[in-house]
Amino acid sequence: MNNNSGFLAWVMDPKRRGPMLIAPAIIVLLLINIVPLMWSFGLSFFKYRANTLKPPKFSWFYNYEKVVQKEGIWEALQTTAIIVAGSVGVQMVLGFLLALLFAKKFPLRRILLMFVLTPMMLSNVAVAIYFKLFYEPEFGLLSQFVQSFTGEMYVLLATPAGALIGVIVADAWQWTPFVMLLVLAGLVSVPKHLYEAAEIDRMSWWRTFTTITFPYVRSLLLLAVLFRTIETFKIFDLVFILTNGGPGTATETIGVLVYRTAFQFFRTSSSAAMGYILLFAVIVLTSLYLYVIKQRESEEM
Amino acid sequence: MGGKMLNLAKKTFLAFLASIVLSIGVSKAVQSKTVEIIMAAPDWPPTRFMQEYFNSNFPQSGDTEIKLTLDFIPWDTFYTNVAASLTSGEEKYSMIVSDSQWLGAFIEGGYFQKLNKYIDADPELQAIFDDMHQGYKEGYTTYPYKSENYYGFPQFPDNYVNFYRTDIFCNPDENAAFRAKYGKKLPCTYADWEVTVWDDIFDINEFLTRKKGEMMAGKPLEDDMFGVTYQAGKAYDFSSMQINGFFWQYGGDIWREDQQPNAQAVGVVNSDINVEALTKYLDLLATMHPSHKTGGMGIFEMQALYLEGKIASMINWVGLGAPVVDPSLSKVYDITGYARQPGTMQADGTISRWANLGGQPFVMTTWMTDEEIDASFKIIKWWLSFDTQIAAVKAGGQSCMKSIIYSDGYNALAPWNAAYVASMDWQKDVWHIPEFFELLTQQQEEFDKAITGQQDAKTTLDNIAEFQQELLEEVGRIE
Amino acid sequence: MKKRAIGEAGWGGTAIAAIVGFIYFFPVLFIILTAFRSRSDTLATPPKWIFTPTLENFYHIFYRSMANSTEYVATGFHMYFFNSIYISGMSVLLALIIGTLAAYGFSRHPLKGNDTYLFIILTTRMLPPIIVIVPIFLIFRVTGLAGTYTGIILIYTCFNLPFSIWMMKSFFDELNTEIEDASRMDGATERSVFFGICIPQVKAGLAATSVFALILTWNEFLFALLLTNKITRTMPPAMARTIGGEINVDYGLLAAMICLFLIPILLVTYLLQNQLLRGVTFGTIKK
Repeated sequence: MNNNSGFLAWVMDPKRRGPMLIAPAIIVLLLINIVPLMWSFGLSFFKYRANTLKPPKFSWFYNYEKVVQKEGIWEALQTTAIIVAGSVGVQMVLGFLLALLFAKKFPLRRILLMFVLTPMMLSNVAVAIYFKLFYEPEFGLLSQFVQSFTGEMYVLLATPAGALIGVIVADAWQWTPFVMLLVLAGLVSVPKHLYEAAEIDRMSWWRTFTTITFPYVRSLLLLAVLFRTIETFKIFDLVFILTNGGPGTATETIGVLVYRTAFQFFRTSSSAAMGYILLFAVIVLTSLYLYVIKQRESEEM
Repeated sequence: MGGKMLNLAKKTFLAFLASIVLSIGVSKAVQSKTVEIIMAAPDWPPTRFMQEYFNSNFPQSGDTEIKLTLDFIPWDTFYTNVAASLTSGEEKYSMIVSDSQWLGAFIEGGYFQKLNKYIDADPELQAIFDDMHQGYKEGYTTYPYKSENYYGFPQFPDNYVNFYRTDIFCNPDENAAFRAKYGKKLPCTYADWEVTVWDDIFDINEFLTRKKGEMMAGKPLEDDMFGVTYQAGKAYDFSSMQINGFFWQYGGDIWREDQQPNAQAVGVVNSDINVEALTKYLDLLATMHPSHKTGGMGIFEMQALYLEGKIASMINWVGLGAPVVDPSLSKVYDITGYARQPGTMQADGTISRWANLGGQPFVMTTWMTDEEIDASFKIIKWWLSFDTQIAAVKAGGQSCMKSIIYSDGYNALAPWNAAYVASMDWQKDVWHIPEFFELLTQQQEEFDKAITGQQDAKTTLDNIAEFQQELLEEVGRIE
Repeated sequence: MKKRAIGEAGWGGTAIAAIVGFIYFFPVLFIILTAFRSRSDTLATPPKWIFTPTLENFYHIFYRSMANSTEYVATGFHMYFFNSIYISGMSVLLALIIGTLAAYGFSRHPLKGNDTYLFIILTTRMLPPIIVIVPIFLIFRVTGLAGTYTGIILIYTCFNLPFSIWMMKSFFDELNTEIEDASRMDGATERSVFFGICIPQVKAGLAATSVFALILTWNEFLFALLLTNKITRTMPPAMARTIGGEINVDYGLLAAMICLFLIPILLVTYLLQNQLLRGVTFGTIKK
């Protein structure tokens, strides 16, 4: 096994164990993510439309100026923030409650759990199409339910607020199980002897929860917030199919805006510039979350 | 340390290798004497018919066998897929079914083949071009719009038809009640609809909007009922098509690409006439099914409402007609009548019926070999031949060849043919320029705000005109 | 006090869980029922809850009627089904192998600037795919990878990698290193520490990671739409055929496809459920 000469030995040197372990991952990420990102970074300083043969024309910060001043990126960011806050908030609360419910053992638990886990296994496209049907004024269950009381069709997606709620409900419904699953993993990992000890000490339920249960769940909970925020920040298919960004531009999220810019307006370089403004926002967000995680960890010590 | 890891690395590498080999193997598999024409096509009956009828009826001649393979792509993602394939440089398609609005974008991109030299050299093709209905020829084949540069052939010509419920509109009691209330006839026959103008629709819709449980045509309604409906959706072009028709009928206009660089957007698009026309469109919309309030009354949503018997009439593409007469899809398959869409009364007493052309041409791409070009023209000639066109129309397709649409018995081939042919002289097309999608998307967004009640007609058109003026000046189409 | 958090829920808890589970499941139930409804029952108002079930929607996934006759032709969907399985399976496997190695590296052999690397990796994951898709498209154009299995598998591997690394690192981090150190003292090689001690302890983590990655890959739409072609097309873009071809949305056909979609995923999740939920026994010495 220990070939003491040449390349193999160099690779196998214990000093390089860390780098060698992560090298494959870094290479793949570099090829498929970083290089394209660099490419589009360059592109963002040119005027370029992917649907014509005209060569890119260098234009300094023209695209950035245009994106910041004219193309509705602030409105889109605001809309995205509302949807993220609403949806992730609902997911965390419901996910936690569901996890508490399912942390206990009871008959049929396995099957009921399968029921609850199903939504997140559906494709976004499927969820979007069926929620569109549920909200539909004529055939939709929601409208028919309301109509049985008021006699009028209920058109949820007609107002900006209604459309936002519609998107949030659909997204939260689909992804609450994700949060639940992570929290559940934490809850189940709590060593039983700790609870037994707590019982002997006659600790209150709340104290047991805060001193024993919660610490085991906290890191996973943060991981859940982190990933759900990332995912919801990127929300695209759901909104695109459910509301098409409407009414007007009321539910036009960042994802929808970039798609429109890149593939409907064909302002390829503009969309690249938008991407970099986004990247900046994403870096800030990521750092913030990692900071919070670190902070919590050090508090614990 | 090492052995296992190496093993893992080896396996990973082998897996990569396997996938590479597999993908190469698959892509290199097709090679033989036959000439295969691969055509990107939306997945719907008119294109499915083309494939099936080709397989069974195409007359093979000469040494090379011609094979036509349609790659059926869902309508919903068709444009994205075609754009992705063309711009990726994979040069996979020899022919493509294209919306007429896409012509400019893909011609400027260098993907679509200009046909003039082939037409000039081939009397048969000249005959085909002479036989095409003028408005449809301009719409489906020319770029710039209305120029003499030809790029395509009609695959599925289309325009608006009014689909209406004969059990309601022709019910004697309803007719009597309508006459008593409004002092005019509830349109029932084709001839009745010929004299119906948009202003009449206010009365008709008021009359036919009824609640669940109320009586209609002698039966209690199982659900709320609404009168005439037209499209008002945010997606794609699902409001612009109808609204453009209103502009033209009122004597207004959209930005005229065939009059570059003098034609303006500001002052034309937001003219008082256009504001009046859009206001009429919005006022009428308020009398229709409330689905439009979500910006979701696209052509398919409207069709679904009609098939389920929730609306008394819809103004929609002939291309969506086939399901209406299909008993397995339609609750109204045997009680539907067909007419031209209403128009606008002119000062001279005639009715203006301008509408936006629909349908799709098919085009050839620029990377075809001479062999493939030959084969393609054989397919085109076969497709546009009398017998094939008649068979296509029987199967729910359409034609825009004068020798066919004006032939005896054409109107009997499909129930909507009379209305279709009568509408043909009233078609104009929207822009063909590469910037069309941008113009369209912004316009759809602004129209959607008006449709969902967030702004009035004047603001909407001012916003659109300003956007168009700026964009078109920037790309040098307005001086 | 009884044991509250873990233990028997009692009949009250069970009933609540059952009700909540049912409400939560209702939209999915609606979809499943729709898959078995005939076309005329699909959009009935009010919805028909009792109807004669039919399998025609499932048949129509694979065969559609011809435009001009009553015969049926294959739709090619079986090929898309195979593609989905092959592409997502391969990419998750690759991401898991590469990701686990990297996670172990990050956890046990930290580099200078370890956190920065992890941070960058996470950032690539956070980016909306729509931003990288244009340049990826251009690169694929140059390399000829557009439309190939290799291309889409590479994309998905990369797509799953950050998640795999972060998930697996969190599992490795929570292991007790004392055991590893002790066995090293006993003369165990680095390799046997990794395979003999660490990997068995994170089996549940591996399962969880692969299930999540599988679900995300299986359902991915945008890359599949733009970077696959007739031969490599996966199920999500093929599902779009149910929207706006002839009629608005063929809800029955779509529901049947969704049901078909669910089977492999449910199977995987069900088989791994015990491992997912028994959770990770952090800190225990033996399996």
